[in-house]
Amino acid sequence: MLNEILKDEKEASKKQFSRRQVLKAGGLSVAAGALATALPVAAEVKYGGDLAILNVALGLEHQAIAAYDAGAKSKLLSADQLKIALSFQTDHKRHRDALIHYIHHFGGTPVDAKASYDFGTITSATDIVKLAQSLEDGAENAYLANAAKLENREILNAAVPILEDEVRHNTVFKQLLGLDVTERLKY
Amino acid sequence: MKTETSLKEQKDWLDMPKNDDASHGTARREWMRLAGTASAGALLYLVTGNPKPLYAQSKEGDLGILTAALYLENEAVTAYQAGAESKLLSAGVLKVAVAFQSDHKYHRDGISGVLKSLGVTPSGPEKKYDFGHLRSENDVLRLARDREHGAVQAYATLASNILTRPVLNFGANVLADEVRHLTILNSVLGVPNY
Repeated sequence: MLNEILKDEKEASKKQFSRRQVLKAGGLSVAAGALATALPVAAEVKYGGDLAILNVALGLEHQAIAAYDAGAKSKLLSADQLKIALSFQTDHKRHRDALIHYIHHFGGTPVDAKASYDFGTITSATDIVKLAQSLEDGAENAYLANAAKLENREILNAAVPILEDEVRHNTVFKQLLGLDVTERLKY
Repeated sequence: MKTETSLKEQKDWLDMPKNDDASHGTARREWMRLAGTASAGALLYLVTGNPKPLYAQSKEGDLGILTAALYLENEAVTAYQAGAESKLLSAGVLKVAVAFQSDHKYHRDGISGVLKSLGVTPSGPEKKYDFGHLRSENDVLRLARDREHGAVQAYATLASNILTRPVLNFGANVLADEVRHLTILNSVLGVPNY
């Protein structure tokens, strides 16, 4: 995932440096530029900065949905793990639909999901949980880094429950992996 | 996606008698009363429909929300203190409770700092809180869980009324802490997180 993100960032900086939006995601830089290039420049577009953020978020939601699909299809998950994965994927689909709604509403063009994602080699349920946790962690940090940049209150209102979901997902996976859940983020 | 089982588990849990219904309700009402003082900015936004000029507008608009948030944080710090002093917690749970209390102190101090910068003297905790009778570790966990749940709802409800960006950024991080606390406490209490 990291390689894919860094590759995106490199390509984005080449193609659209001036439009590049970088999300600080827990020490990682998630490049939004490649995704934000889908942003139209039509005059009726409102809240262009918000739309760029929403499209980055939408890219992350597409990726998460695909990751949970990969996890579910791997047949490596226990019944309980699968239940959690499907529940969280449903949340991400709801986020995706909400983001698309707002991007359309303000005159933007939502990015599509990629044809394929490279999630690395998955050989165990732990691999899947680790993948999911890293994606949820990145999403949590992306929403946290960008919430205060949003200008439109309607969009901010829509983003808040999404942030709540990402934190909940991330915390559940951290617990499953035995990671520290008592450490506060630095802010 | 909630299965029938998880919904039933949740319902069973919610139907269980709580030891602090009365005080929890009071806290929520107090929060809403305090937060109501911030509604002028929100109303202005609703009337004008243009949030942009308001976003950088007077910091005073955030006073009500900050005051209400401080009330919740003071209460949470005191609730965890009551839990820690009850001697009902096992070593592992006590460690988590102390960590969460430390987060709430961090929130309290951050909010107090903003209030001071606005020329307002931040309030301390109430002289007395009614947390009901704490007779078991579960009682303490449920007290904490209910506080965190209330805090999540309060921060989530009012986040978009915050007018200044630094305050909003801080509030978003506080909200994330509260959700993390709630998720862990739910997990310990067997309340489904999915």
